[in-house]
Amino acid sequence: MNNQNVISATDLNKSFGTLKVVKDVNFNVKKGEFVSIVGKSGSGKTTLLSLLSGLERPSSGRVTIDGRAITESSENELALFRREMVGFIFQSFHLIPTLSAWENVALPLFPVKMTTEQRRERAMELLRQMEMEHRSDHRPATLSGGEKQRVAIARALVNSPKVVFADEPTGNLDSATSGAIMDILKHLHADNGLSLVMVTHDMDLAGSSDRIVCMQDGEVEL
Amino acid sequence: MDTRYMAKELWYRRRRTLTATIGLAVGMAILITMNALSAAYSEAARMPLKEIGADITVQRAGDVPENLTGPVFACSAVTIRKNEIDQIRSLPGIRGLAQALLVWVFDTDRFTIVLGFDPSNSVGPGVLRSQLTDGKFLEKGKNHALVEASYAKTHNIRTGDEVTVAGKTYPVAGIVDASRATKIAVANIYLPIEEARKMAVASQQVQTVSPFGPEDANILFIKAAPGQIEPLTHSIKDIVGEKVSVATPASFLKRLGSLFALSDKFSLVTSLIAVVVTLLIVLKTVAGNITERTAEIGVLKAMGWSNGNVVSQLAGESILQCLIGGILGLIIAILAASILGFMQVNIPIPWEMSPTPHFLPGGGDPVFKTLRLPVHISWQLAALAILLSTLIGAVTGAILSRHVARIKPSEVLRYE
Repeated sequence: MNNQNVISATDLNKSFGTLKVVKDVNFNVKKGEFVSIVGKSGSGKTTLLSLLSGLERPSSGRVTIDGRAITESSENELALFRREMVGFIFQSFHLIPTLSAWENVALPLFPVKMTTEQRRERAMELLRQMEMEHRSDHRPATLSGGEKQRVAIARALVNSPKVVFADEPTGNLDSATSGAIMDILKHLHADNGLSLVMVTHDMDLAGSSDRIVCMQDGEVEL
Repeated sequence: MDTRYMAKELWYRRRRTLTATIGLAVGMAILITMNALSAAYSEAARMPLKEIGADITVQRAGDVPENLTGPVFACSAVTIRKNEIDQIRSLPGIRGLAQALLVWVFDTDRFTIVLGFDPSNSVGPGVLRSQLTDGKFLEKGKNHALVEASYAKTHNIRTGDEVTVAGKTYPVAGIVDASRATKIAVANIYLPIEEARKMAVASQQVQTVSPFGPEDANILFIKAAPGQIEPLTHSIKDIVGEKVSVATPASFLKRLGSLFALSDKFSLVTSLIAVVVTLLIVLKTVAGNITERTAEIGVLKAMGWSNGNVVSQLAGESILQCLIGGILGLIIAILAASILGFMQVNIPIPWEMSPTPHFLPGGGDPVFKTLRLPVHISWQLAALAILLSTLIGAVTGAILSRHVARIKPSEVLRYE
């Protein structure tokens, strides 16, 4: 394995029944690299993201993250791996409606042995970075789309991940808010050296990344 | 398991929480109340015998006296022989046995119901000691008499007076108010059993109808060891024969005629239905909860929650809401029990246990022991209900954990 690669995927295939969704993909992401995966709807980009992040098991092939082969891990090992190594940002935010902003941010820390105060402290630190400290006790229903996504970004960062996976992070936002969210992601990448893999169909957004990977019919076009 | 998350889920999803909690509360309230009612009827059925200090009474039916003059036996209480009494006394499970002799005495000027008993025996009519309203109680070896309060009033008898029964005079040692104590073995005059036996032995009428020896009796009061009433009843029936009449709490319970009194199976079946319906309500609510929160569970898994973490969180919520439901059910049941405690129950006393001849005024009237239904919820029943509520929560959580394990975050987060 190249020591520079934080993600390494080899001969990755994924089929749902007879439908091959990801075909023989070989793909690397370097430490601190910001990679965008672009492609039309149904091109297999979200499935590739799921395979790379350990949310989905490949039909064949191998994925390693930071040197750990996640394709050979058990369900519990995968859960632990996700808790320690990766963060997720979703198009629909996926915040828990009954929890406040800071509690949503702290959600990945709930299974970790920490006091509530320690969790709150860590969550507040990230909300401060996202300029959302003043909304920390608000529940998602009272937040705007942009605010929700800021909370979701803070949640993705709370466990200090090696890689953040973002699936259409601005898909549900207006153009002004999209720009603001992209600025945050770019800053995180530039200032913290965070590895970022983003799925988008918007070439303008993808233009902000270090590298663009195009997918078509399940195959990567370099 | 995070209690803050758990509490917020239950609080902010109030409609669902209330459905499960109220469903369980009603189920548990039914279960507790049914069992408390059933126990109350059983307890009430024990009262007539408990008041006479016994668990079992034994009598033997015989022939009707040919001639109602002098001392005679009621046809419902004829001779039980000494050898039969000795056999019964030796049965395993007997904690105490008292012999008594009920005699109707038809004197020329009055009719008297006489009961002879051993005043030193705490089982049976010896409990009348606590109902003494005047004078002294009977003493072993002293040929004194006790007079029942209403009889004493009718015939203007006081302590220190003398009463004559079957031609023999006894000083009145005291007055007892038997009506306050029991409906069983109520007599006009109480004598030491030896005196009553002498009376029966000497009676031509008694000896003609039911030969009687100097150590025989015609009523036995038995105190049984816990759980031994039923086997003792069978053994006593074998010893005394087919004309035996054995009264037990179970026989009184049958006479009550209530659904609750008819069978323990009624409360058992009702309880089982309540538990099953409750379980289904909780299962449906929690299943709805999981369906509604599929995407949320997917997010939790994506964030690194293991199946175990998710299941313990959901099971914790289920257990907590069931526990709240159980406590609420207990409170409802306590309120229901306190209201039901005002109900009065009439326990019919079998005619053969009524000492008054049916041909005398009032003798044929049905006799009831009337008391307030002793409904109370034992701590064991309360603890069982709370434990059962928690168990329903845990079982529901465990059943649904399989569904949680099947939720794949990549699938539920894909279709938004």
